[in-house]
Amino acid sequence: MKRIGVFVCHCGINIAETVDVKRVAEEAMKMEGVAYAQDYIYMCSEPGQTLVREKIVEEKLDAVIIAACSPNLHESTFRTAAEEAGLNPWQCEIANIREQCSWVHTDREKATAKAIHIVATMVQKTRLNESLEPIPVSITKKALVIGGGIAGIQAALDIADSGHKVILVEKESSIGGHMAQLSETFPTLDCSQCILTPKMVAAGKHPNIELMTYSEIEEVSGYVGNFKVRIRRKAAFVDWSKCTGCGLCMEKCPAKVPSVFDRELATHGAIYVPFPQAVPNKPVIEHDSCIYFKTGKCRLCEKVCEIGAIDFEQEDRFVEEEVGAIITATGFETLPVADLAEYGAGEVPDVIDGLAFERLLSASGPTVGEVRRPSDGMVPKEIVFVQCAGSRDPERYKPYCSKICCMYTTKHALLYKHRVHDGQPYIFYIDIRTGGKGYEEFYHNAEEEEGIIYLRGKVAKIFRDGDKTVVWGTDTLTGRNIEIAADLVVLATAIVPKDSTAELVKKLRIQTGPNGFLAEAHPKLRPVESINSGFFIAGAAQGPKDIPETVAQASGAACKVISLFSRDHLEQDPAIAWVDEDLCGSCRICISVCPYDAREYDEEKGTVIVNEALCEGCGSCVAACACGATQQRNLSDSQIKSMVTASLGGE
Amino acid sequence: MAKIAYYPGCALNERSSHLDRSARDATLKLGFELDELDTWTCCGAVPPVSKERVMNLIAPSRILKDVRDSGRKMLITICDFCYNTLKRTNYSIKSDKTTRKRVNAFLADDTPERDYLEKDDSLWVDYEGEVKVIHLMEYLRDELGYNKITENLRRSLKGLKIAPYYGCVMLRPQNEIQLDDPENPAIIEDFITALGAQPVKYPYRTECCGAYLSVSSPDASTRLCYRILTSARKNGADAIVVSCPLCFYNLDSRQKAITESYSDFKPVPIFYFSQLLSVALGVEFGRQGFDKHYVDVTPVLERIGSSTGKEDEV
Repeated sequence: MKRIGVFVCHCGINIAETVDVKRVAEEAMKMEGVAYAQDYIYMCSEPGQTLVREKIVEEKLDAVIIAACSPNLHESTFRTAAEEAGLNPWQCEIANIREQCSWVHTDREKATAKAIHIVATMVQKTRLNESLEPIPVSITKKALVIGGGIAGIQAALDIADSGHKVILVEKESSIGGHMAQLSETFPTLDCSQCILTPKMVAAGKHPNIELMTYSEIEEVSGYVGNFKVRIRRKAAFVDWSKCTGCGLCMEKCPAKVPSVFDRELATHGAIYVPFPQAVPNKPVIEHDSCIYFKTGKCRLCEKVCEIGAIDFEQEDRFVEEEVGAIITATGFETLPVADLAEYGAGEVPDVIDGLAFERLLSASGPTVGEVRRPSDGMVPKEIVFVQCAGSRDPERYKPYCSKICCMYTTKHALLYKHRVHDGQPYIFYIDIRTGGKGYEEFYHNAEEEEGIIYLRGKVAKIFRDGDKTVVWGTDTLTGRNIEIAADLVVLATAIVPKDSTAELVKKLRIQTGPNGFLAEAHPKLRPVESINSGFFIAGAAQGPKDIPETVAQASGAACKVISLFSRDHLEQDPAIAWVDEDLCGSCRICISVCPYDAREYDEEKGTVIVNEALCEGCGSCVAACACGATQQRNLSDSQIKSMVTASLGGE
Repeated sequence: MAKIAYYPGCALNERSSHLDRSARDATLKLGFELDELDTWTCCGAVPPVSKERVMNLIAPSRILKDVRDSGRKMLITICDFCYNTLKRTNYSIKSDKTTRKRVNAFLADDTPERDYLEKDDSLWVDYEGEVKVIHLMEYLRDELGYNKITENLRRSLKGLKIAPYYGCVMLRPQNEIQLDDPENPAIIEDFITALGAQPVKYPYRTECCGAYLSVSSPDASTRLCYRILTSARKNGADAIVVSCPLCFYNLDSRQKAITESYSDFKPVPIFYFSQLLSVALGVEFGRQGFDKHYVDVTPVLERIGSSTGKEDEV
């Protein structure tokens, strides 16, 4: 019979205050198969681990049970310790007497009894545990980055610089994302384009980066190290391999399409590049806006293109790629102004959002950097900025803080003042949040030196009155209602995840949080990983964040990918399902219940098998298997039966 | 002719009975009848906002249960306050198990015995919010369809600019009432369009008229009504249409005080929505009780085209 050692941790007073740890050790000693039992104040400390290692040798132990905290915390710690003392790591088990016992009970007597049952249960499991070896899994050392904003660009560059291949997929025809739309960036006021375009060019030219713009993820299968990805290359109706980017087609196109990039403050043709610095600098024809596609006549672009790059017959193509890791960096959108009924529901022309104001400030924007309002092109003399438009409003809109608005609104007001010296900016705010290097100083300077009037309170209503846009708000510091007949109103609308993110996460099978942003594996300690291995996240798709934070997170995600690729192969936990092929009746129920697509029918064998790389050991198929052919390693039916008996206090 | 259970409420039963009459006339023209409940009590009017947990719900629940017990599924009101009170009571009963239990326990225990009613020996069945409380305008929009109004128009309101006034309780709270977006509603505008008139957009259509402040601090209500009326007028309104007797009272009667306080003020005629509907459907002006209005509506009536058919007597 196996000689089992039981080590009971006090965890300071975390366990010992509620559970009589000495008695647990005494009782454990009486259990069948237990050859040694001992309590210790901090089992995870170096002396604690040494104790475990020494006793394994001295007492000739075949297996150990650590009665301590959750296996999520220290299972790997103690398995490593056991391995160092010559045990197979799967001969080390954790009995959780902290989270599932001492922390949730107050009655010392009952808690102690429960802890003894928990230990007894694990003794039953351990008696029948087999020694296992990790399953080696190969890695395709090529990464997929979804989203070509600053997060995706940064992550792709970092991975590519480490010598690994990267595919950068972007939905639009150019990479750059929202950062390309911005004028100047807080708090340093350096030009957004000027710091972004070198990175865009570098990503476009990098020998290890394959750009796939105007493309979308169609399907993802596989598992960490071995993903298969199907990518839709949308028809641009322009042969990019021929196109030189001369731009003649765009000049001649007679269609007028509101520019998404310019927040509909300007138009471009049906054949267009979103902005002059686009990478790649190749145009696409927007199918639904093209006069030829609508009426069957025109083809003007085709006539002017001397090299014959226009191809109206082009269709969507699909490419299959194999990658080892996937970074999702799909970015954000802002809550549409039309959703804010009390702020004019998008029907008041001089109520715009922050991104539109960025375009008005931008030297490459529709007004060449002059602040002119959309309705009549007048330079606004009184301008109202409304923060938290849809943020921090759990009853009607979004409960969370959009984080970047305090800073960019201050920047907007300041840049406006620099352009319109006799203009008066007002900012309505709930709180001014300036957490970030140099942010508070930036805000203070703007407030004290620039003549911006800050009003603490919410805006109740915005409506058009003649050529004015009237703002009703409250100044909660003076307790007075405020009415401003403004020339232009800029709403700091809530940052929301892109609509397409919800569909994408279904394809990737990764998680989102309650507000639709990508969920990280741990909010503090694993901020760039998804809970599903092989998936990493970066940028505002995970939550509102500014450029420095986005870049840091992108580099973090890239580093995780590089670290994954630095290994020769991956090790998969062997405590997963296996099939006794003599018993399998090929009913295939297991295939239908498996959430990981890990069960498949093997034509040659005539039985259903387990794809060991995909199996997560959830046990669904084990429970579903009618003939008991599927079993879980180290959680066999006989183990579970004796564990249930022990947990209920039976022999 | 279809009969739909109808709850008139206190205002329309007494002081504003002409509004009740206009609604009955208009609905007959549209092919259905407002069938007044045999017995009904006060709906409570203010109490839905009180902190009281049960007592405020008893009167409206009893009304709703009677409707359910009579085998009907829908109850029409034409007063915003009745609508709000009955609908919110129904919402609480439907959505909150504890409220449902408490209210029913109280009702079962305390069913009034009225000497003019036969003793009710039928089995007690808890009221669980089965009745749909519906505003007449909501009925016209969702059940009948506004196009049916347009098809039956007998007088032309073409060229008339009419400003909708929503007041407070018709649309709020949104999650309980769910009639329209309280910040940017369209139901009255669409009603005005269906009548053939032109709706006026003005910022004060959802601002407060002062409600009961009219009693405790009339000056406040005067100021609020002045802003609403002048804003509507400034945006070109010939008249304002309302669907709440209290709004009607404030916006109409308060114009006396407004005229005394504000020298620049020009009066604006106020119509109840059922009056305009009734007039547009060809019911004679004389049945609308316009003589009870403080502000003379004649200038508006003069611009309404004569009835295309014989002015019916209802």
